[in-house]
Amino acid sequence: MHRLFARQRLQATGPDGTVDLDALARIITDAYEQTDRDHRRTERSIALMIDELDQLNRTLELQVAERTVALGKRETELREQNLRFDAALNNMSQALLMFDGMSRLVIHNKRYCEMYGLAPDDVGPGVVLQELLRKRLAVGTFSGDPDDYVANLRARIARGLSFNTDIDLPNGRTIEICNSPMPDGGWVATHEDITERRRAEKIIAHMAHYDSLTELPNRVLFQERLAQSLVDLGADRKLAVFYLDLDNFKAVNDTLGHQFGDELLKQVGQRLRGSAAESITVARVGGDEFAVIVPGIADLAEASALAQRICTVIGEPYDLFGHSVVTETSIGVAVAPDNGTLPDALIKNADMALYRAKADGRGTFRFFEAEMDAVIKARRALESALRDALLEGQFTLHYQPILKLDDNTMSCCEALIRWNHPVRGMVPPAEFIPVAEEIGLIVAIGEWVLRQACADAATWPDNIKVAVNLSPIQMLNAKLVPVVVGALAAAGLPASRLELEITESVLMQNTEQTVAALHQLRSLGVKISMDDFGTGFSSLSYLRRFPFDKLKIDRCFISDLSKDDDNGLAIVRSVTALASSLGMVTTAEGVETAEQMELVRMVGCTEAQGYYLGRPQPLKDVSRLLADSLPRQAKSA
Amino acid sequence: MHAVQLSWNGISGWQGQGEIPDRAGLVLYFGGRAALADGRRYNELRDMFPHAHVVGCSTGGQIRNNDVSDDIAAIALNFAQTRLKLATAVASSAETSRACGESIGRVLAADDLAGIFVLSDGLNVNGSALVAGITATAGDSVPVTGGLAGDGAQFQETLVGGDFAPRKQTVAAIGFYGAAVRIGHGNAGGWDEFGPRRRITRASGNVLFELDGAPALDLYKRYLGDEAAGLPGTALLFPLRIYDPLRPERALVRTVLAVDHDNGSMTFAGDMPQGFVSQLMRGNFNRLAAGAAEAARQSVAAFAQPGDTDSVAILVSCIGRRLLMGQRTVEEVEAAGRALGTTMPALGFYSYGEISPHAASGLSQLHNQTMTVTTITESAR
Repeated sequence: MHRLFARQRLQATGPDGTVDLDALARIITDAYEQTDRDHRRTERSIALMIDELDQLNRTLELQVAERTVALGKRETELREQNLRFDAALNNMSQALLMFDGMSRLVIHNKRYCEMYGLAPDDVGPGVVLQELLRKRLAVGTFSGDPDDYVANLRARIARGLSFNTDIDLPNGRTIEICNSPMPDGGWVATHEDITERRRAEKIIAHMAHYDSLTELPNRVLFQERLAQSLVDLGADRKLAVFYLDLDNFKAVNDTLGHQFGDELLKQVGQRLRGSAAESITVARVGGDEFAVIVPGIADLAEASALAQRICTVIGEPYDLFGHSVVTETSIGVAVAPDNGTLPDALIKNADMALYRAKADGRGTFRFFEAEMDAVIKARRALESALRDALLEGQFTLHYQPILKLDDNTMSCCEALIRWNHPVRGMVPPAEFIPVAEEIGLIVAIGEWVLRQACADAATWPDNIKVAVNLSPIQMLNAKLVPVVVGALAAAGLPASRLELEITESVLMQNTEQTVAALHQLRSLGVKISMDDFGTGFSSLSYLRRFPFDKLKIDRCFISDLSKDDDNGLAIVRSVTALASSLGMVTTAEGVETAEQMELVRMVGCTEAQGYYLGRPQPLKDVSRLLADSLPRQAKSA
Repeated sequence: MHAVQLSWNGISGWQGQGEIPDRAGLVLYFGGRAALADGRRYNELRDMFPHAHVVGCSTGGQIRNNDVSDDIAAIALNFAQTRLKLATAVASSAETSRACGESIGRVLAADDLAGIFVLSDGLNVNGSALVAGITATAGDSVPVTGGLAGDGAQFQETLVGGDFAPRKQTVAAIGFYGAAVRIGHGNAGGWDEFGPRRRITRASGNVLFELDGAPALDLYKRYLGDEAAGLPGTALLFPLRIYDPLRPERALVRTVLAVDHDNGSMTFAGDMPQGFVSQLMRGNFNRLAAGAAEAARQSVAAFAQPGDTDSVAILVSCIGRRLLMGQRTVEEVEAAGRALGTTMPALGFYSYGEISPHAASGLSQLHNQTMTVTTITESAR
């Protein structure tokens, strides 16, 4: 009997043991209904669950499909990104390696294999650094012990700071390695071939200390070496510093061009280097300036011998691209400790000695002497005073009359500059004009003279001209013509009353520009005279090059002139004849006696100038003289 | 320990098996709300056992040894060495349940407290909070067992009495003290999960609003079909298994106490934490019976022996199980009885919630839709 039915029957059984069939039927029916209900419930819940799960499944399928698409897209992106990453990695100029905390390779690029001559198969993820180094050792791109290297590297990585190491490979390349630790105990290493950079740095360092033209040490290195040599100098030894330059380098550069100038400097450098021992420093310290350090000499004879040898060697002719050129050098020598123990003092003193050598006729050498210092100081003082003189109006003009010999009337006055220094008194032009020319002040002084002379002449009778000397330096000044025009205009003086006197040397320099300027001035009506004719080359070609208005025959032909001096007379006569035939007037300079006056008149000079006819005198005196002569001229007219 | 079982029905009155001990320390009694409501049965027991704590509650049916019955069932226990202490409290709402539990725990707490047996109002209490309150003050190593009072399939009012006639909104708890007493416990469900897992997306305390963003009540109505008319009782046919997704091994089963058709919410006997995962469950008679047997085995495993006459077993099973199994409910009681042995007195009731330590965590808590078995053993050893 089923246990359930047994219970049901028990429930339906009364105290007397009889079974109430109606009650039993109710109980059994109730049980059936319960079971039916449970079945319905079960079926319903299973159906609903299946629906729900099905719906869920569809949703999931949709989500999976969407995610698959998204995943595919991400995969594509990732692949592209990886390709880009690979491209970037493999196109780096540096080699790159990443290691994990066990020194195993994680990432690397091709450059590493190229840099160290490894086969691509030798290098890959998981390979330990020691193994890489052993392979490099085998192909000759590593030297040392791989285990020591890695142990040392790991010890430094463990400190947690990036560090750089330069290594020189057996093949001559230099590699800079930068190791940067990572949080996991690994590190990233970049290897850069810095061979070219190192080479460039060496070149730059060389350039900083050597002259590129001559390959000699430059001023910087010269000074360093001099300082060091002075430190190293033994107590009983001396050291000589030579300062030298080329005597006519500027002429070579100007006439033949920079290419020739450079070539000359190169050859001079070679000769200098060749003439001195290896222990001697030969440097190029400026344009055509060289310097020599002669360390550790016993006496001055050694220095003298070298200086003499250099003068001789440099003085020999040069072949510059087929042109034979001769130059000479002047050398100034200063000796330590006698002339100073500091580099600057020695250089300065050698420079002073050089100045003296040049003044003493070039092509030679001079040792520094204490008085040179004084001379130089005096010179500097003069230069300074000259500059002040112009500003403070210390210059005045004196005028020397020039007479026409046909009627003994005054035709012209030559303006001559005078410097009345408040302390020194009158300073002769021969003393200060060369200095003014050297320091370039002559241009400003010349302009002042022109303006003053024109202004003074404007107060004179119309038939009296004024003659002004032009320095060669002035002639080179591009502003000459405007300055002359300006002076005339300011004074209101007709151009025809101005005579400009130039010397032969003016025509010797930069001829074309000079001749053009002279033509321009002459076309304005300004007269151009050749001054001091007969003292220089007296080349007649100069007379052909420019149509001078006047020749001034130098005093050296006139001062000794007497009626017995046939040669002298003949020279003067031929000059006046030549001038006359070229349409030029002639002025005899330095006429000091009545006899000379008569003689020059006799040999055909048109004008005369000299102490006999009148000394240079202040404006007020010459103005009075002109006023006095006026009636006489008027009378004779 | 000496135990005597009694029963009462309208025809026979009180009937006992064996001699009635005059010094019984504890009387437990269970019966339908209608049978207990007038307090006469309590008074009769009070008279029979003047020295005992008389503690009982309304139920969804009684368990007595191997049978399920609607008669009142009672048991009188006479302890040799064990001290007892009764604590009662008013439990008026889910919000005050924790505080109520804490006050009971404070009253009962002692170094030699061996266990607590609790009977609680079944409709106005958040059982989870109540148990958490008790363990918070009495100590979480003390096993707390018992259950929530029932009201058959009506879900209208539940009664609890503790040395007073049963009344609503009441909690009564007995503490067992001393080295001689051993409290064994077992708890098992036997329900099968089915269908999709759903997330608790809106809930507050023990009130559930939404699962996966949809009203929870709609789900139940759909699954119940025309049985939805019997809500909330019929909702017990489909308990919810819930768990923290981070600790799936601590899954709990929750049962419905009330529904609100207006806002679509369902009130459960314990917390329904938002974010937990839930899954519907359904019962199979055989597996539910096997669950009951498992609970009995767990309970006796530690201290008692099957058939031990020094022990008594108190079975608290869920009303949902009885609603589902109908006439075959007795099969789970028989299954538990077989595990306990034929000679161990067993008494119990169908409840609105079961209280027992969790089998895995050992933490006392509220269960639903389970069979819980508490064995009380007093040994002279």
